[in-house]
Amino acid sequence: MKIVVCVKQVPEVTNVQVDPKTGTLIREGVKSILNPFCEYALDHAVRIKHSVPGVSITVVTMGPPQARDVLVRSLELGADGGVLITDRKFAGADTWATSLTLAEAIRTVIPDYELVLVGKQAIDGDTAQVGPEIAEILGLPQITYGVEVALTNTRRQVRVTQEVEKGYEVIEASLPALVTCSKGEVVRRAPSFKDVINARKKPIRVVSANDLQIPEEQLGLQGSYTQVVKVFPPPAKKSNLLLQNLEAAEAAKEIFGFLREKRFVE
Amino acid sequence: MHEIQSKTAPEVDFSQVKRIEGFATIQAEYSAYLSDESKLSAKPFDYLFFPKTEAELAAVVKFLNQQKVPFTVAGARTGLVGGCVPQQGALISLEYLDKVMEVYRDEPSGEWRVKAQTSVSLKNLDSMLRVKQIPLLEQSLDETIRMHYAEFREDPDEYFYPPDPTEMSASLGGSVVTNASGARTYRYGPTRAWVRGMRVFFANGEYLDVPRGKYFSSPEGQFVVYDSKGDAAMIDIPNYPQPRTKSTAGFYAAPRMDLIDLFIGSEGVLGIVTSVDVALLRREDKVSIIQFMDSDEQAVTLADALRSEGRIQLDFLEFYSGNALDLLRRLQREEPSTVGMPPIPENAKAALFIEMSFDPHQEDLDFSILEAVISSCGGSLERSWAGYESRELDRFKVFRHMVPETINGIIAERKKQYPGIHKLGTDMAVPDGHMREMWDLYRSRCEELQLEWCAFGHIGNNHVHVNILPRNLEELEKGMQLYEIFAERAVALGGSVSAEHGIGKIKAKFLKVMFTPEQIDQMRSVKKALDPLGLLNPNDIFPVEVTA
Repeated sequence: MKIVVCVKQVPEVTNVQVDPKTGTLIREGVKSILNPFCEYALDHAVRIKHSVPGVSITVVTMGPPQARDVLVRSLELGADGGVLITDRKFAGADTWATSLTLAEAIRTVIPDYELVLVGKQAIDGDTAQVGPEIAEILGLPQITYGVEVALTNTRRQVRVTQEVEKGYEVIEASLPALVTCSKGEVVRRAPSFKDVINARKKPIRVVSANDLQIPEEQLGLQGSYTQVVKVFPPPAKKSNLLLQNLEAAEAAKEIFGFLREKRFVE
Repeated sequence: MHEIQSKTAPEVDFSQVKRIEGFATIQAEYSAYLSDESKLSAKPFDYLFFPKTEAELAAVVKFLNQQKVPFTVAGARTGLVGGCVPQQGALISLEYLDKVMEVYRDEPSGEWRVKAQTSVSLKNLDSMLRVKQIPLLEQSLDETIRMHYAEFREDPDEYFYPPDPTEMSASLGGSVVTNASGARTYRYGPTRAWVRGMRVFFANGEYLDVPRGKYFSSPEGQFVVYDSKGDAAMIDIPNYPQPRTKSTAGFYAAPRMDLIDLFIGSEGVLGIVTSVDVALLRREDKVSIIQFMDSDEQAVTLADALRSEGRIQLDFLEFYSGNALDLLRRLQREEPSTVGMPPIPENAKAALFIEMSFDPHQEDLDFSILEAVISSCGGSLERSWAGYESRELDRFKVFRHMVPETINGIIAERKKQYPGIHKLGTDMAVPDGHMREMWDLYRSRCEELQLEWCAFGHIGNNHVHVNILPRNLEELEKGMQLYEIFAERAVALGGSVSAEHGIGKIKAKFLKVMFTPEQIDQMRSVKKALDPLGLLNPNDIFPVEVTA
């Protein structure tokens, strides 16, 4: 059984600092990482692999050549092979052009896939559109916001615990299907050093525009319906409440009253 | 040259210096200044000063000197031996001297250096170097400083400051006066190896600029420091040999020694370091590996094997005993996310933690030598955790720090029932070839007395911290006796009673285990030459203060 996991390389935002003058991100020294939600998706795939014999995991990413790093990282974490979709013609793709390219690559390279797992969104773009769009393009049933993913006993369906507004729902879909994942293990996996070494021996196939049956005008910037026109930081919120010259007990009462009014406490 | 003259700082209005007077106010409003990481409690003292400039510091020191008020100096208060916990007089906090002053390339050596005030934290220094963003330098009014900074930013390589004493909230100056070391000392040596210059203020309020490589003791072992009026202080360098291991016990002394080395590791009893120049090194990609083993003995054997394999260059080589892993497992059972790592494998009975250079983009990684060494000691690379992305390195580092943090938590809890209880953490290092003997002594004695204990730390430098966690006062007493036995054995093997924590106020009695009364007197006379009234950091290193 073949599971495809789509992954994305994103900037490591925990260490990102903002230039106080320009308000833009300081990119120097900022490393790239595997998008955390993609890592959750991979984590679900690895758990299925450990519980069901005969499962192989292929990770797929689209990006510049250095996006290979996230494939290698995924191979360390338990994937068996990778597909790097890279070509200058893909540059500037919006979510639609990205989804179209990923879907076509999956169809071309892993035609016998049964389950596609993706992160619910990337922490840089935050659109949460690519997963559902791939499902639409591939004509797959989709379940979003999965926190638990397992195969049913017959292995013909996937059973997903889905996060909803006020709790969880358990939903099943017939395979092949696509699941977007919002959570996995609380603690990230740590591969062994042997896994790290061996990951570099696993196969990574490189796919370019010529390998895909997509007309050139549907690729990259040309094939995009949307464009990012401007990026700017949200205006800082300046409102605050300052209590001065109060006794501790009185101040505590005031603060409690404020929090209750704002419904932070009951 | 062994003669040097001190200078005076510009005059400032002493009354403008921020100060808190009276112990009651200090206790009520500045309680953080009553202790440090050692948890030693301050005794009543009268003043708390916050100088914002060196000139203000000089004014404070002159005032205290005139009044003959003893004073203690505090940086980030992360020390483990109570060095900056005042017992009388005044406390001077250097926390406002916290600016990076310059980044420059030293032409003769070609190395990049940072000049910084004493209270820049290691963490801030590290992150500023990581992103190469130091706004103060960019906005400097000094064109040369701006130019050097621009050159630094243009250099395509990344740089870092190698000493890594785990506690990254420590101040740079504090780490210099304590000659801090840590895991990476295994490869890069202690802080001493990276200090290229300093400014040091004496108890009379005058200062010296001491670059490395300029002032050396005379063939007779002497330095002469003239003050601005021309009065001479004669310093006779002690003639004891240094232990053949890392050590922060007592003053550094050597024939024809560099003056700067006298102040590094002197725990601030000779002068107040207000700024330092330190060298940087090109940053390389690293991998951290936690290698699980079947037993403590197996891990000790592997540590020996890794050290003697010349083809493997490790940055650090750290040890975790089986009972240290048990402590973390207990945390993980209560709350899986606390430790930040996956569950520690049940069959892991000890671990080594190593770091080394690693190029994640290299396709044919060859670590066959490492693998062979680990296999020959009964381990397997499959039973390890590895990480090389910066967030992974950070998470592994947190894991590394987790054992001592956990122990501190347990002790704090026990203190509620027995206020007299404190942690007993050994800090002895022994020369190469004696680690196993020391380890056998640690384990057999702790087990004999049925104490709760665990061990972790710098096995690469034959420097493992044994931590005894007394459950009652009787166990505390037993543990303290054991500590002395360990210290005596370490010294008998040619080691040090304090490899990195220093002596401060808490470990003064162990200085006597390592040095003869005559040798300690030699140290005292160095102190007396530079601080004749014995005002500076009283009770540190020398429990009964020398007075004029």
